[in-house]
Amino acid sequence: MTTKLFGEPIKRVEDHRLLLGHGGYLDDLGHDALAAAYVRSPHAHARILDIDVSGALEVDGLVAIYTHEDLPGALAEPLPLLIPHPTLTHGRTPYALANCEVNHVGEAVVMVVARDRYLAEDAVERILVEYETLPAVVGIEAARTAEHLVHDDVPGNIAANMVQEVGDARAVIDAAPHTLELELQIERSASTPLEGRGVLARWDTESGRMRIWTSTQTSTGVRAAVAAKLDLPLMNVDVITPDVGGGFGVKIVHPWPEEVLVPWAARLLGQPVKFTEDRREHFVASAHERAQLHHVRVGFDDDGRLLGLDVRFWHDHGAYIPYGLIVPIITSTQLLGPYKPRAYRVEFDSLYTNTVIVAPYRGAGRPQGVFVMERVMDAMARDLKMDRALVRERNFIQPSEFPYDHGLIFQDGRPLIYDSGDYPTSLQKLKKLVGWDEFGSVREAARVEGRRLGIGLACYVEGTGVGPYEGGHVIVETSGKVKVATGLTTQGQGHQTVFAQIVADELGVPIDDIEVVTGDTRRFGYAVGTFASRAAVMSGSAIALAARAARKKILKVAADALEADPEDLEIVDGFVRVAGAPASAIALGTVAVLSNPLRYSFDEASKAATQFASGDSSKPPVDQDDEPGIEGRDYFSPMQSTFASGMHAVVVETDPDTAEIKILRYCVVHDCGTLINPRIVEGQIHGGVAQGVGGALYERMAYDESGQLQNASFMDFLMPYVSEIPAAIEIDHLETPSPLNPLGIKGAGEAGVIPGAAAIAAAIEDAEGFPITAMPISPSELFELRRHNEGNRT
Amino acid sequence: MKVSGEATLHAPAERVWDALNDPAVLVRTIPGCERLEATGPDAYSMVVTAGVASIKGTYAGKVALSEQEVPHSFLMTASGSGGPGTVSTDVRVTLTDSGDGSTRLTYDAEAVVGGMVAGVGQRMLSAVAKKTAGEFFAAVDDELSGKAVEPAAETSEVPGVFVAPPSTPASNDGFVRGIVVGALVALGGVLVGGLLGRRR
Repeated sequence: MTTKLFGEPIKRVEDHRLLLGHGGYLDDLGHDALAAAYVRSPHAHARILDIDVSGALEVDGLVAIYTHEDLPGALAEPLPLLIPHPTLTHGRTPYALANCEVNHVGEAVVMVVARDRYLAEDAVERILVEYETLPAVVGIEAARTAEHLVHDDVPGNIAANMVQEVGDARAVIDAAPHTLELELQIERSASTPLEGRGVLARWDTESGRMRIWTSTQTSTGVRAAVAAKLDLPLMNVDVITPDVGGGFGVKIVHPWPEEVLVPWAARLLGQPVKFTEDRREHFVASAHERAQLHHVRVGFDDDGRLLGLDVRFWHDHGAYIPYGLIVPIITSTQLLGPYKPRAYRVEFDSLYTNTVIVAPYRGAGRPQGVFVMERVMDAMARDLKMDRALVRERNFIQPSEFPYDHGLIFQDGRPLIYDSGDYPTSLQKLKKLVGWDEFGSVREAARVEGRRLGIGLACYVEGTGVGPYEGGHVIVETSGKVKVATGLTTQGQGHQTVFAQIVADELGVPIDDIEVVTGDTRRFGYAVGTFASRAAVMSGSAIALAARAARKKILKVAADALEADPEDLEIVDGFVRVAGAPASAIALGTVAVLSNPLRYSFDEASKAATQFASGDSSKPPVDQDDEPGIEGRDYFSPMQSTFASGMHAVVVETDPDTAEIKILRYCVVHDCGTLINPRIVEGQIHGGVAQGVGGALYERMAYDESGQLQNASFMDFLMPYVSEIPAAIEIDHLETPSPLNPLGIKGAGEAGVIPGAAAIAAAIEDAEGFPITAMPISPSELFELRRHNEGNRT
Repeated sequence: MKVSGEATLHAPAERVWDALNDPAVLVRTIPGCERLEATGPDAYSMVVTAGVASIKGTYAGKVALSEQEVPHSFLMTASGSGGPGTVSTDVRVTLTDSGDGSTRLTYDAEAVVGGMVAGVGQRMLSAVAKKTAGEFFAAVDDELSGKAVEPAAETSEVPGVFVAPPSTPASNDGFVRGIVVGALVALGGVLVGGLLGRRR
C-alpha cells in the first residue's frame, strides 16, 4: 500500500542538491557570455546634461556602450505600468536607460558591455556624466508637503488617492462612547535576497530565437515583456528561471531595465550577454517597501467593541510606480485582520519620492496594516484597562459568520470575502501556548530581580492564492517516471517537494519517480508568477487537477489492457491493478507505452505498442477526442483569494540600562488550511519570523535628506543572524480548510513575517509602559523614548 | 554631511592668504591632488585621487569662489565626480589673525556625497574628511614655516596648469589620504586663497 504523502512532513527533495552546492543560480550560467555593467546615477534627482564616453573607448575588451539615444522603438519608451488602476491617475514608470532625467540614486544611465565584468566596470568608471542636480524629495513628509516635485507633471507628488468606505465611519466615531487617535509609522525596508537580480540572454541568429535565463518570480511575465519590447513573436522567446537565491517579492517586478537591455544587446551583438547584480546595486537599483505613515481615529464602546475605524495613510512608493497600488491596497483591506470594524473608512495617497521604487516585500503592506490595527487594539485595551486578548476576542469574526464579506475590494479586484477561519480557537491556542494568563506573575517575578519583561500579541488575516490562474501539466513517460510542470517560478519554497507529494497521491507513484519543473516557458507557457503566497494554492490545485486527468487516462488504457472496468482499478506504487488482485498488475510505464500507438518500436517495451502487436481493428488507433500518451493538463482559476490567518505572541526583555531588546519567546499559531507538508510550512514560518524580527528591530533604509542611501551594504544594513532569532519558535497549527480549492489549502509563504513588528512593539510597550508608535525600533531609539517618557509610564 | 574644523597656521593672516593663493603651493599640499587648472576668474578645475576605506578612485572636480573678504573669509563651492562617487560641497573658510604671528583658520563644510562612496563608505567619511583637511593645513603650515622642501618642476608647460610633483607628501598614505570630501574642503580653502590672490 502506498503511504499517503499529502500532509506528511517529508524532507525536501531539493535540499540535497541545494545544500551540497549543486544548485545552478544565474551567475553559475553563461561563462562564455559578455558582461554588462551600468553607469548609475549618483544623484537622487538630476537632469542629465551630457554623457561623455570617450574616456572609456580605450578600455581593452570593451564591446559596446549604450545610452537612451541608442534604444530603438518600444525599448526607448518607458517600461510598462504593470498593474493599472482607475485611481492611479498619475502613473510614471522609468526608462530602461534614463532619458534626460534621473529620479533616484542607482537609476541606470548607461549600459556597458565588455569581455568580462572587470573590464565593463573599468569602462563604467571612465564614462563622465554631467548632471544638473535638482532638489530631492525624500521621505513621506517632504513628499506630501510637495515643496519640490519628483515629476514636474505630477502635482503634489500624488500618483493616486484612493478611498474605500463601509458605513459612515466618521459619524459613528464622533458619536462613539470612546474615541482615540493614533499616529503610526513604519520605515522602509527591503527584501534583500542573498542572490540579487541577474539575467543571461542568448540569441540564436539562425532560428531567430531568444533564450533568457533570469532570476525572476515570473518567467511568463518577463517573456511577454521582452517579446513586446524587442518586437519578437512570443513563440520565439523562451524564459527559464534557474535556481533562485531568494525573491521575497523584489523579483516579481519585471521587466527590470536589465531584463530588456541584456537580451537586446545579445541580439545586436550576436553573442550571449549576462548581467549579475552586485550587492550595492541591489540596494539602490532594485526595490524597497514598507514606508507608510498612518493617522487613525477609532470609536469603540465600553466593552471594547469597535464601532468605527477611520484610517488615513500615506504610502511612499519611490521614484516610479511600475507595480501600481498593490501594497497600499493590501494595507487598506488587510488592516482589518480577523476583526469586524462595523464602520470603516480608509483613504491613502501613494506618493512619489526620489528613492528606489516599491515592490511588494514578503507580507506586502500587511505588516504595516497589522501594526496599525493591533496598535489600535492595544490602545483600546489600555484606555479601557481591559485585557488585550479580551478586546481582540470581542471583535473577532465568528466561525459561524463565514463567508464574511467586508464590503471592500481586495488587491485582486475581487470582493474582500473571507472564506473560512476560526479566530477564537486560534486565540485560545495561542494564549495556552505562550501562557498569556500566567504572564503577570512571570513579569512580576522578573521585576523583583530587576529585569524588565513584556508580552505582546498580534493577529492577522492574509489573502493568499490570488488569481487569475495557474496551470499544471503531468506526463507519464514510458519509463514509468512522471514529469510535472507548472509555469510559476520557485525561489526556495520547496515546490519540487510539495507538488510531487500531490502528484504521488493522485497517481499512486513513488515520489522518487516524480520530477517537477517550474518557471520554464518551454515546459509551460501559461502562468502568472510566484507572489502573494499563491504557489501551493494555485499551482498545487492545478497540478492536482492535471494529475487527475492523467489518472483518468491511465485507468482507461489499463482497463483496456486488463479487460477490466476502470472503476475497479487502483494505482499502487506505480502499478495499476484490479483492486484486491495484485497479480493482475500492469506497470505505469507499460500503460504509457500502450497509450501511444506506434509504427516504429524503439526498445523492447515499445514493441507492445506497434501496429501488429496491439490495437482493436474496429476503432482508429487514437480515438476521436482522445490523444496519444498519458498526459494531463489543467488550470485552476478560483473566484477569489483564500484567507489564511494566524496569531503571534512574543515575550521580550529590555535591558534597563542599555535598552537592548531581546526576544525571549516567540509563539505562533498558524492556520493555512490543510497542510501539504508541515515541515515546509514550519520552515516558512521560521524564515518569516526571522524576517519579521529584522523588520521590527534592525532593517531600515537610511536615506539622508539628499536621497543618498547611507547603509547600502551588509556592513550597515542590519539583518538578523541566527543569534538574533529566538532559539525556539513555538508553533501550533490549526487547519481550517478552504472551500475554494480542491485541496482545501491556503498560502503560507508570507505569514511568518506579517505580525512581527506589531507583536514585538506590543511586547516592548508592555515592558516599558509607554506607547510604541513607530517601527523598527533600535536600542538607541528606545533609550530616547525612555528619556522622553520619563515620569509618563502607565 | 556636515564637517567643520579649525587649524592654526604659523604666519600672519596676509601670508596665509597669499600661500593659499598660490596654485603651486596648493597642488602640492592638497592631499591626493594631481592637477589644478585655472578655468576662469574664481574658477578652477582639478584632479584628485582619493579613497574612502576600500573605495578608491580619481575624481575630476570644479571649484568656484565667492563672497571673498580679503584676508578674512570666503565661500567655496566645489564639486567632484569619479567612478566611486560624487561630492558637492559648500565650505565657509574664515581666517582670524591671532596677533601673535599666527592665524586661526576655521572651516564649515556642508557636503552631499553620492554614489558608491556614499552608500558604502558613509560612516568613515566625516572622520576621513577631517583628517585629510588636517593634513592639508599641516602641509600648508609647513610651507609657511619653511619646513617643506620645495620640489622642483611643479609647474607644467601650460600656463595656469599645475601638476603635482612625482612624489607629493600626499601620495604615500593610500588609505586615509585621499578622502574626497577632505580634499575638497582643503582644496576649497586653498583655491579661494589662490583665486583672490591672483585677482589682486
